[in-house]
Order: sequence, then C-alpha cells, then structure tokens
Amino acid sequence: MRNSRYIGYALGAALAAVFPLVSGAYTQQVAVTTLIYMTLALSWDMLLRSGQLSFGTAGFFGLGSYAAVLLFLNVGVNPITSILLGGVFAGVVALLVGLAVLRLRGMYFAITTLALASIFTVVVRNIPSLTGGPEGMMLPTCVFNGNTAQVYWLVLAVAILAIGMSEVFQHTRIRLALTSIRNDERVAKSSGIHVFWYLVFVFAVTSVLQGIAGGAYAHVYGFVSPEGSFNANFLLLPLAMALLGGVHSTWGPVVGALVLGVLGEYLKLQIPYGHLLVYGGIIVLVTLFLPQGFVGALRARVRQFQSGRGS
Amino acid sequence: MSTKGKVSFLKVGILAAVMIVGLVFIAVAQEGPIKLGAVNPLGDITGAQSTKAMELAVAEINAAGGILGRQLELIVIDSEFDAAKGAAAIDRLATVDEVDIFIGGMSSGVHLGEIPTLKKYEKVTVWAGAASSLVEEAMEGEDWYFHLHPWDYLQGGSYVQGWADISAQYPLIDIKTAFWAYEEGAFGSGSYAGSLVAHDAWDNVGESFKSAVFGGGDYRSVLRHAQEIDPDIFIWVGYGADALPIMEQAREIGFAPSLFVGSPPGWPADFGESPLAEGVVAYGMWAPSMRNISPVSDHFWNAYIEMHEEEPATYFAPLGYTNVYVVAEAITRAGTLEKEALIAALEETSYDSPLGETLTFTPSNLIEHQGFQGQKILQWQDGSQQILWPFEFATALPHFPYTGR
Amino acid sequence: MTLLRKLQQRRYVTALVSMIVLVLLAVWKPYALIEGIQRGGVYSLIALPMALILGIVGIINLAHGEFMMLGAYFAYWLGVYTGLDPLVAIIPALAVFALIGAATYLLTIRRALKAPELNQLLLTFGLAMMAAQFANLMWTSRPLKPHLSYVYSSISLGSLRFGTYAFVYTGAALVLLAGLLLFLRRTRLGKAALAVGQNPRGAKLVGIDVNRTYMLIFSISIALVGAIGALFLTRHSVFPAVGSPFTMKSFCLIAMAGIGNLPGVVWGGFALGIAEAFVLSFRGYGGWADVVFFAVLVAVIMTRSYRRRVV
Repeated sequence: MRNSRYIGYALGAALAAVFPLVSGAYTQQVAVTTLIYMTLALSWDMLLRSGQLSFGTAGFFGLGSYAAVLLFLNVGVNPITSILLGGVFAGVVALLVGLAVLRLRGMYFAITTLALASIFTVVVRNIPSLTGGPEGMMLPTCVFNGNTAQVYWLVLAVAILAIGMSEVFQHTRIRLALTSIRNDERVAKSSGIHVFWYLVFVFAVTSVLQGIAGGAYAHVYGFVSPEGSFNANFLLLPLAMALLGGVHSTWGPVVGALVLGVLGEYLKLQIPYGHLLVYGGIIVLVTLFLPQGFVGALRARVRQFQSGRGS
Repeated sequence: MSTKGKVSFLKVGILAAVMIVGLVFIAVAQEGPIKLGAVNPLGDITGAQSTKAMELAVAEINAAGGILGRQLELIVIDSEFDAAKGAAAIDRLATVDEVDIFIGGMSSGVHLGEIPTLKKYEKVTVWAGAASSLVEEAMEGEDWYFHLHPWDYLQGGSYVQGWADISAQYPLIDIKTAFWAYEEGAFGSGSYAGSLVAHDAWDNVGESFKSAVFGGGDYRSVLRHAQEIDPDIFIWVGYGADALPIMEQAREIGFAPSLFVGSPPGWPADFGESPLAEGVVAYGMWAPSMRNISPVSDHFWNAYIEMHEEEPATYFAPLGYTNVYVVAEAITRAGTLEKEALIAALEETSYDSPLGETLTFTPSNLIEHQGFQGQKILQWQDGSQQILWPFEFATALPHFPYTGR
Repeated sequence: MTLLRKLQQRRYVTALVSMIVLVLLAVWKPYALIEGIQRGGVYSLIALPMALILGIVGIINLAHGEFMMLGAYFAYWLGVYTGLDPLVAIIPALAVFALIGAATYLLTIRRALKAPELNQLLLTFGLAMMAAQFANLMWTSRPLKPHLSYVYSSISLGSLRFGTYAFVYTGAALVLLAGLLLFLRRTRLGKAALAVGQNPRGAKLVGIDVNRTYMLIFSISIALVGAIGALFLTRHSVFPAVGSPFTMKSFCLIAMAGIGNLPGVVWGGFALGIAEAFVLSFRGYGGWADVVFFAVLVAVIMTRSYRRRVV
C-alpha cells in the first residue's frame, strides 16, 4: 500500500513538472501564484493539526521575503540559497517567539500571532536604512531573469517540499502526536508527549516553509515592500483555501488552493466588475453546504459508498 | 452562340473577376483589429474611470474609421491591486490575447511586479500610471517604454516652480517654512521623499500619519505639532478618505495655516460642499474646470458623461483617454505596427490632451520617453476646483490666506 | 478593610497605579490623555457588539467591520435623500440592521453553527468579502462624508484647546457597556443569553430556546454595529474598505480583555487609545504607535496566561 502511495507521488510530481511544456506563460504565471498560496495553506494546516490556530502566516512570509532579499543584495548570496536561508531566518524567529507564546491556546494564540505579524510589518517599515522603509526595495534582476518555466519549477519545488513535509506529518508518528494534542492535551501529556516542545517544533518548521515561500515570491517578482510582502492576502487566502479544501489533510489545502486560485482568475476574466462578489459568494455557499471542505465531502461520500457496499 | 451573347458573357466574366478581386482586397485590408492591452485596478475608481475613458477613446476612433483601415480593440484585465495578478495579466495579454501595445496602469507597487514580465516581451508600452522612482530605475535603458505619469521627483519639481511663480506674481505669498504630513505607506513616504529633495529652499519639517484607509483617521497629534511650528504652508499627502477629517480636526484645534494644501490621488465626492473646503489648495493633474479653457477637455467631459452617465471624478479619466489617443496617433503616423517605426512615431508625439498640456516625450532622469513633466496647483473655490498654476491654464486667481468659510 | 489590606488586593493596586498614571499624563501630555480617551472610546464602542457575539454565540464575526461600513453608508444616503442627520439616523439604523442581522443569521450563521468553529470563521470572511464588494459595486471606492459643523466644536480650558464632539464616542461606549450589562444581568432574556453563552447544552436542558437566543443576540449585535456606523460617519469618511481594520482592532481588544469580559473590553480600549495617543505625541515616533498597541496586547495576553496557566 505504501508503494502505491509513492508511485502516486512520483506520478503527480512528474505531471506537475511537465506542465510548462504544455502551457503558455500566462497559465504558468497563474500556477506560480497558486503554488505559493498552496505552500502557505499547507503550512498553516500543518500547525492546525495540533489544534493551534495561527494568524501569523503573512508575518513569516514577509520575514522570509525580506531576509532573502537582504542576503542577496548585501551579502551576495545566490538567489536559491537566499530563499532557503530566508526560510531558516523565519524559522529561527518562530522558534524564539514560540518559546514565549506557545503556552497560549485557541483565540489567544491566534491573536498573538496576528499581533506579531503586525509588529514585524511596522518594524520593517521603520528602519529604512536597512529595509528601504515604506517604499521597499527592488532587486536588480529577478531569479532566472523572469523565465516563467524555470520560475514555475522553482515554486513547484517549494510546493513539493511543503506537500512532502505535510505527508511526513500525516504518515508517521507525528500524526498521532498532533491529533492527540488536538483532541485532549492532558491525555497527550500523560501518554508521554512533550506537548510544548512538539508545538514549538511544528511552529518553527511550518514557519520555515512560510519563509521559503516568501523568499521565492520576492525573487520571482523582484521586490519587497511592507504593504506587499506582509499583505493580509497571504493570511486570509491560504486560510480560505485550506478550509475550503478540507483541513487536517494534505490534499485538502492542495485541492483548495487549486480550486480557489484557478477560480479566482477565471472569474476575473469572465466578470471584470464584481468577480470578487461571486468569489465571496462561492466561499459562503461552500461553507454552508460542504462544511468539511471538498476533500472532506469526497471522503464522506466514499465512506458512504463503501459502507453501503459492505453491508 | 450569337455575338451579343458572347459579349454579355464576357461582361459578366469581367464584372465577376473585378468583384472577386475587390473582395479579396477588402478581406486583406481588414486583417483584424489592432489590439491594445491594459492592466487597470477595476475595483478602484481610478482604474474603473481610466478604463471607461479608454473605452470612450476607442469608440470615437473606431467611429471615425479606425486606424490604418483597421478597428481598434481594447482588452482590459483587472490588476486587483496585486503585483502577481498584474504580472499574470501582462502574460495573458501578450500570449493569449496577443495585444500589440501595452497601456494603462495606476499603482507603482503593482507595476514593479509587472516590470519583469514586461521585459520578457519588450512590446511597445505606453504606461499611464506609476510615479515611484523605483520604477524609473527599473526601466532605465528600455527604449520600448513610454511613461505618461510624472515621476514623484518631477511632481515635486513642478510644485517648487509653481510656488516660485505664484510668489513672484503675488508677493503676499512668501513661503519659508513648510510642514509635511504624509501617510506612512509607500505612497505618502515616497511623495514626501521626492518632494524633500526638490524643496531645498524651504525649511521643511515632516511627520507621518496613519491614513484613514488603513484604520487611522485621527490626525490631531500631527496637526498639533504643525501648529507648534506655525508653518507658512501645510501640506498633507494622503488619500481622499483623509481629506475632510483633516480639515475638521484642524479647525477643532484651531490650526489655520495661511496655505493649506492637500495632495490625495482623488478627493471625496462631496468635499466641495463643506465650508471647510473653501480655499484649500490641491495638488493634481486636472480639474473639471479645465473644460472651460480647453476645447479638447470640454469635448472629453461631455463625451464621457454621454457615454457613461457619470462625471469624471479623477484625473485618471482624461489620462486614460490621452493614453489611447497618443498610441492611435502614433500608429497612424508610423503607418505600421512595426516596433522601431512605432517607437520613432511615438517620439514625435505632440498631442493636445484633455489634461491641458500638449503631451510630448522628453528624457527624464533615467528614461528617454517621459510624457507629463509636472502637475498643477489647484484650489477649492466656491465648491469646485479651480486651476491656479500653470498660469496658462489658470481658471481663477488664488484666494489667500486660507480661512475656510 | 484597612488601607494596607486594600493595597494587597490586586484590583486596588491596579486602580491606584492607573490613577497615578492618568494624573501624570494630565500634567505632562494633556492632549494625549484627552485624545486617547476619545480614540479609546471609538475602539471600545466598535468592539462591544463583537464581544457580545463572541461571548454568547461563540463565533468570531469577521464581517463585523463591514456591517459598520454598511451602517455608515445607510446613514449617509438617508441623509442625502431625506436630510436626516446621521445622529438621528441611528434610530432607523437600529431597526434596519436588526432585520439584516436576523436575516443573516437565519440564512447563513445558523447552518454553520453545527459545523466546526473554523467554518464559521470562513463563513463570516466570505460574508465580509461580499459586503465590501457589494458596497464597491453600488457606490464605487470614492470616499463619502457629510459635512457637519458640530463635529469640530471645541472648548478652551486655560491654555488647552481641544475638541468636545469626539467625547460622544467615549460616552456612547460607556452607555452601551452599562446598557449591555444591565440587559445581560437584569433581564430574563439577558440572563438566558448569559446561560447559553456559558453552557449551551445546559441551557437547552433548562428549557431555554438556544437557537432563538442566538438569533436575538446576533440581531442585537448587528443592529448596534449598524447604528455605530451612523455615529462613525460623523467624523470619518466611509468607503467599502473602511470596516476591516476595525474588525481586527476589535478582535484584538476582545482577546486582550478575555472572552465574556465586557468591561475589560472598554477599559482595554481606553488603555490602548491612551497608549497610542501618548506615543503619537512624540514627534517622529508616530510610526511606532502600532507597535505599542500590539506589544501591549501581547503583553497582557501573556501575563494573563502565565497567571492562570490555563489559557
């Protein structure tokens, strides 16, 4: 059974990899944005599996963007390495912050991460000598000189990394630990799980992913700015995608990102004025009629079908 | 067959041949439309009205027979104020819609994201928006890029010239100290930075505030600091949502500088109705009163209202109209869409625009093809905006000092 | 109780320290104190209806700010067509938005209550998007504001000259707080609502119609926030996106005070308003006012969590 899963991964990755050969620059560009949001949606969901709701994705995304750009401009690190180091920087900040903040639960943790993201934005905006201030900084060249196919492969690699980590979280003991923490922390603790350190670990790892996504975005579009890199869209849209697709799974955020990313673009072309009204309406309808998200509903349908056949 | 029959057969044959050849000619001449691709923020009034003005221009040109015998087609994609979406839109316009020329735009931030994609295709681009010098840096050396909107430092320079001219004409107006209140985002900070360099003859003090657009809306601490300085001129750089509240709060704390200047990209709909607006100086590129002195502007005003049943409310409307006409006239001059010829034709542009000026392209600091070189100084008088400077466009004399009614 | 005994109670110490700080401020930065109280009034006022929903129905209403925005538009257009002052428009706004709240609840929220909590978040996010886009399509993004000469009335006390109108927000916040507390603690409906908020299943067992209570509270909250929109319009321009920063600020205030702590929301609002005004009073440090807001927020949440070791 495990082998069939690996074959599925390989097939999926291969299909995704050859995508640029059968599509034009525009579809690749849309795919790049979708993959970035997919990475954020996955990383957000991975932390959610422990029961912790985070509103900090945009904060670590922005930190990764700025770190990658600063390393590239001031230290001369090459783009790919700077993206990875940007992720590491976000992870380190998350680690330090998490040590203080991960005793909070529920809404309080969520608001604190949001507050931290806002603090990052303001700090970045107010040290212009380092970060270029409110106007941000521009890169002299974009990664791969804007070759859309290569950019796509870069972002695809990031997304595959996120999917891979999410699957590791889903198919190893980590899953049991996270689900146990989510269901009842006291029981988890008595089972021997170091709840606090687990949460710190997951928080840091998911923040690394968010930082890498941020670094990639900065290098693809060639500039960072407080309003652009810490934009609320990098929090709200991945959240919506994960919820719509189905939380606590890998394929939920993946499906959600694909659907909302492609749908958003399609609606915009069909309904130039007012497409966001329809977009919001679709979100409302899906929330009301598919409360478990697409993947969740699909799973329920499959289970129904199987139990029907079995009996 | 009789001779008569043969001759008529021949006549029909020749007629048929002429008709067929004629049809082929017509088919070849109508190769399909000339396509203009624009990326505008349709969700904002600036992008929406710019698009409508472009549609007006395209409709007028097509009604007059098109360009080079072909119809003009406008394809507009929403940038949603998002750099990534703007870039994707450029890709789509270039590869799917296969446009000939790029136009439009508004936000500098979004344009920075679009620039790498524009550079991929290097199509002739006549861009209406973006004022940040970061954009100019990115476009240095690109000969296919034409830029209409004045850069931030050009705006600053024009205002320096404007106040110098006004002070020379009206010696009562003498500016030594200036207080700048600018919104803390990229727009405000960038405008302030650009202006600071130009206004080195003044004693400048600046302070940032959070615009109402981002949840601010309380300017009293900044206004009090300005009050302490007692400047000759107070300039705020923010958004339309800040306009009336700033005036109200200034009145509340008793702050009334002799020159009260506002520099938002657009003003609220009913700003003129407030008695506090009387005498407020505005920085901008156009005012509805331009139609009283410029026939092109008057025509634009009436035609826009007739087509869209609303009044132009932002300078991006006449700017969008200008955008299309500049391109159309250049194509006609060049006689072809071939890139080098088109660039040469654009360089010869001399278009009497509804913004007032005659548009030409001259070099700015870093690029070769900069269109508008500066902005205008306007003033709210009796509920509507009048133009004070440049004097050639003036529709009223300045009311000084500011008191509000 | 002796004075010493009183001082040992934390409540009294906090009150004493606050008094001392306020007196110091009044002497050193009087304008910061005055304007801080006024700003704080705005924050508290807007946050109270959201706290009501969160405490009793248990959902985070991400569309909160958007309802306020709609209320402001309502007051504006009512003024244009009938000449009614926005302050007077508060009364029809209460009625209209009570209906809107009831309709929203019946059509959407009620279904989502059975779903996981996050779905409700996504639902209100979708509703917020729809409301903002609706406003944009109807009235464009151009800001609107009526001219009202009384909003900049001021008085002079000694060497101080300050505005008096903005105290309306402070007064309204205190009146609303008193009204809500009276309602919740003294009326049958209010006490039932409190019971539902604390334990919905238990309340059902005792015979309280939980669903009707939810609908009532939701409608009251929306009615209040719609009316607050009219009050908001007197001193702020209205445009489609005006509401969302206030949703976030309200959420922060409620998290700082703790769910169900209505007076805490008001005191927190004032504290934050004063802190912000204090930072803004120093020329050149205005950009850091946001950081102070969020830093205080994080500090309070953390202190409370360490004290209780539960949250």
